[in-house]
Amino acid sequence: MKFRLISSCAVIAYTLLVVVPLWLAIDRLIWVAGFNPLDWINSLDGNYISQGVVAFTFLQALLSTVVTLAIGLPIAWQLGRYKWPLHSLIKATLTMPFVMPSIVAAMGFLHLIGPSGLNIRIDDTTWFATLIIAHAWFNLALVIRFCEPVLSTLDPKLEEQMRLLPAGHSKIGRFRNLWAPLLAPSVAAAACMTFVFSFTSFALVRWITLGDNTLESVMANIGSSAGIPNYMLARNEIILGASLIQFTILIASLWLMSWLQHRRQNLLPQASEITVKRVNHRGWMIVFPAVIFALSPLIAVFWASFRIRHTDSSGTSYSWETSGWEFAFAGSGSMSSAWDALWNSLGYAMITLCIALPLGWALAQTILDIEKERPKTARFLDVLTMIPFAASSVMIGLGVMLGMIRVNAEFFYSFWPTPVIAHVMITTPFVVRIMLPALRSLNPIYDECAQTLGIPAWRRFMLIRLPLLRGSILVAVIFTLAMSLGEFGASWVVTRNSDWTTLPVMIDSLRSIPYNNTYTAPAACAVSSVLMGITLLLFTWAEKFRPARDGGMF
Amino acid sequence: MKIYSLGVVFILATMTLTGCVSQKIDDGVIIAPSKYEWVDDGELVIVTYDVYGLNDAMLEEFERQTGYEVTLLKLDDAGSVIDHLLQHKGLQVADIAIGIDNTYLQTAIDNNVLWEHNAVLTNISDLALLPYEGPYAAPFDQGYICLNYDSSVVDGENFTVPQNLWDLTNDEWSGKIAIPSPETSSPGRAFMTATTDYFTHDDDNETEWTDWWTAMSRNEVIITTGWSEAYETHYTGGYGEWTDGYVGNAHAVVSYCHSPGVEAWSAGNWTKSVSLDLPRASFHQVEYAAAIEGGNLDAASAFIQYLMSPEVNSKMPTENYMYSTLKGMDLPEDDGYRFHSRIPDQPANVSATKIAENMENWLAQWNTAMVDA
Repeated sequence: MKFRLISSCAVIAYTLLVVVPLWLAIDRLIWVAGFNPLDWINSLDGNYISQGVVAFTFLQALLSTVVTLAIGLPIAWQLGRYKWPLHSLIKATLTMPFVMPSIVAAMGFLHLIGPSGLNIRIDDTTWFATLIIAHAWFNLALVIRFCEPVLSTLDPKLEEQMRLLPAGHSKIGRFRNLWAPLLAPSVAAAACMTFVFSFTSFALVRWITLGDNTLESVMANIGSSAGIPNYMLARNEIILGASLIQFTILIASLWLMSWLQHRRQNLLPQASEITVKRVNHRGWMIVFPAVIFALSPLIAVFWASFRIRHTDSSGTSYSWETSGWEFAFAGSGSMSSAWDALWNSLGYAMITLCIALPLGWALAQTILDIEKERPKTARFLDVLTMIPFAASSVMIGLGVMLGMIRVNAEFFYSFWPTPVIAHVMITTPFVVRIMLPALRSLNPIYDECAQTLGIPAWRRFMLIRLPLLRGSILVAVIFTLAMSLGEFGASWVVTRNSDWTTLPVMIDSLRSIPYNNTYTAPAACAVSSVLMGITLLLFTWAEKFRPARDGGMF
Repeated sequence: MKIYSLGVVFILATMTLTGCVSQKIDDGVIIAPSKYEWVDDGELVIVTYDVYGLNDAMLEEFERQTGYEVTLLKLDDAGSVIDHLLQHKGLQVADIAIGIDNTYLQTAIDNNVLWEHNAVLTNISDLALLPYEGPYAAPFDQGYICLNYDSSVVDGENFTVPQNLWDLTNDEWSGKIAIPSPETSSPGRAFMTATTDYFTHDDDNETEWTDWWTAMSRNEVIITTGWSEAYETHYTGGYGEWTDGYVGNAHAVVSYCHSPGVEAWSAGNWTKSVSLDLPRASFHQVEYAAAIEGGNLDAASAFIQYLMSPEVNSKMPTENYMYSTLKGMDLPEDDGYRFHSRIPDQPANVSATKIAENMENWLAQWNTAMVDA
């Protein structure tokens, strides 16, 4: 009975926190623009501001997916099939970009291709390739996390047996008849998620491209004039059209992902890693450049935070100084200090954690509890918890902004934790995704035995469930904190009407200061370095508790 | 069962989305200051964008003089400021808007988001009062928007100095001009407004201003979201070339006619950027400070008074890179600031009322011209 109460509360709380703001936003936009989905879609190409955006979004997402697989698969193969010294460290380094805030990655890549790096940005044909490579950098972890467990744990006897068969004599034959069918669901799952993340990418598109927009960035750019009656009506149609396309594509991708995940589970680990792996010296030719690739944008960010440009009539020179850091942390009447942003970010992350973790956990438990008796309801709830994935962070930000204007703007604008609403919307689905498999893997026999011994429910929870779920809970805690700290799209929309800046928003604001200010880039990189440091700390901590053979995103 | 019921309710609610909630909320009532419930709470919330003049020293001095506590809400651009005002109409979120220019002002007035301020202003130049002389807004800075070009490239040999706007549609200028979008940038909007006047008064009666924009679109004009991107990222004649985000593929850009003066002043009387003074192809832009409906009117008025004082407003050229709006003020002569800042002989002549009446339509026409190219 108690549990039913918790479940109901979780579903109601989730609906209020997550679904209602989105509903209010869509309701408002429809009221202004009218209900005509065909017009919404047509408005995208009918307006100069959004012309070609759909094609560009698909093109960059598809190319990003292809390039991510092309770079990621050889690395996953090397990590999965061979023995490496410091294997955990190498794997952590290569998978760390996925948790790095995208705005930090954007700053890193800008410096890598800028005048103090490779100096190729001056050629406007290079930025598109940079965007694709940046997406590949960001999503590399997905390929490794999805494919490496299959590769590292496949029983070697299978391959030996294949060699004896006519279809497995050649490498191509073994690939076609053994590896391809085994890897296909994992590769497809990685491709699917890479596509989703590239499709909704915002910070990288905003900073790396030159004027080109994705559906996500166009919504962000025009979001400030959304929902105003008799004003810029076309913009409401554009946002609705963009949301509709995004929602459809992302829901389809998530369904596909869900199906692929199911297929993958049947093909996962079949032998211990130790029995499979051999030494491969030639593999360093892939692994070493991969490690450099993973680290270079982050090193560039830290390095650029100390490099100060001096321009005068005699030309431009550079010096090594800490003044970029001082500029960022000093603050001013017109710009918050990095300390303020840091405390805001940490505060929001902690509150987000306090709400998203129990909420996500309760939702995951609810899905698990009802999926045997009412599988359709469980499936519905499962999809409902994934809505924020499909809505994208900018749309969530717009939802929160329009929602709070409609409900009580005076209250929300003077209420410091307001941005937490957006963070909870974004992180709760991730908690559900992390906790659900963990809860599924719990053997109910322990709990039943304890129950037979007369141990009360809370002690069973403390003595059995909590220790068994410890790893997954900690991973959920750390990822919630990391995602909240690095969240940019929704915060960018929500906090621009307030002075509660967060670290990612501050990086964007600093970098937006006109470049005749010497500290524009170094100060943005200094704050990026702080965010990068915190994220690295959290990631290193998470790696200690990650279930060994989960093979998922996290 | 409970969960299932909730799901059904959610689906039904979503399926019947027709804007009924919003329709009920938005009643658009206008209330005068005397009847509005506002209190002087000792705080002043300023909504603005990157107006450089609002620096720490200036804000702290205001706080010291008046005792008001200032909070700055910085948005992306002038367009975002007007969006914010319309979005939060009657919600008492902010007290004063700074940075709305004469292409947006009438829209704000027509939508009743501003209040008459109480500041007593006596020393404003006639030029600054040309676009608007009413009680809803005080002009605090001004300048002319026009094309700038890089004289090291546009030297008459490699590139011909344009003699009229149609010259910019020639092949040599293909992909070499950066213009901030009229839809998202106030300089872009101002320049588009100028083109409506330019082509109304040119000798050619067969083409419209939209034809020129279509031709520019076909000639690969670079349209950027904001001024910064056009000037810093794309323009080869400005300070952008020394910065990290620089691409440098445009030899002409829409900026201010005094931008070369700012360049010279910042770099020891040296610049390669020159403003292009074509009749009616420049626009006199005035930026305003205005009290917001429902805000702290006393605090807003005090700030307007302070902003328009000779001590503060005379610093506009050096703090805000714009002309002062007070009588008898000009740009400083130091390091070629004044020398390289050209005042157009014949800027476009479009009244604020005409702008407000036509802007939505112009933007729609501009959009069609660019999309159809």
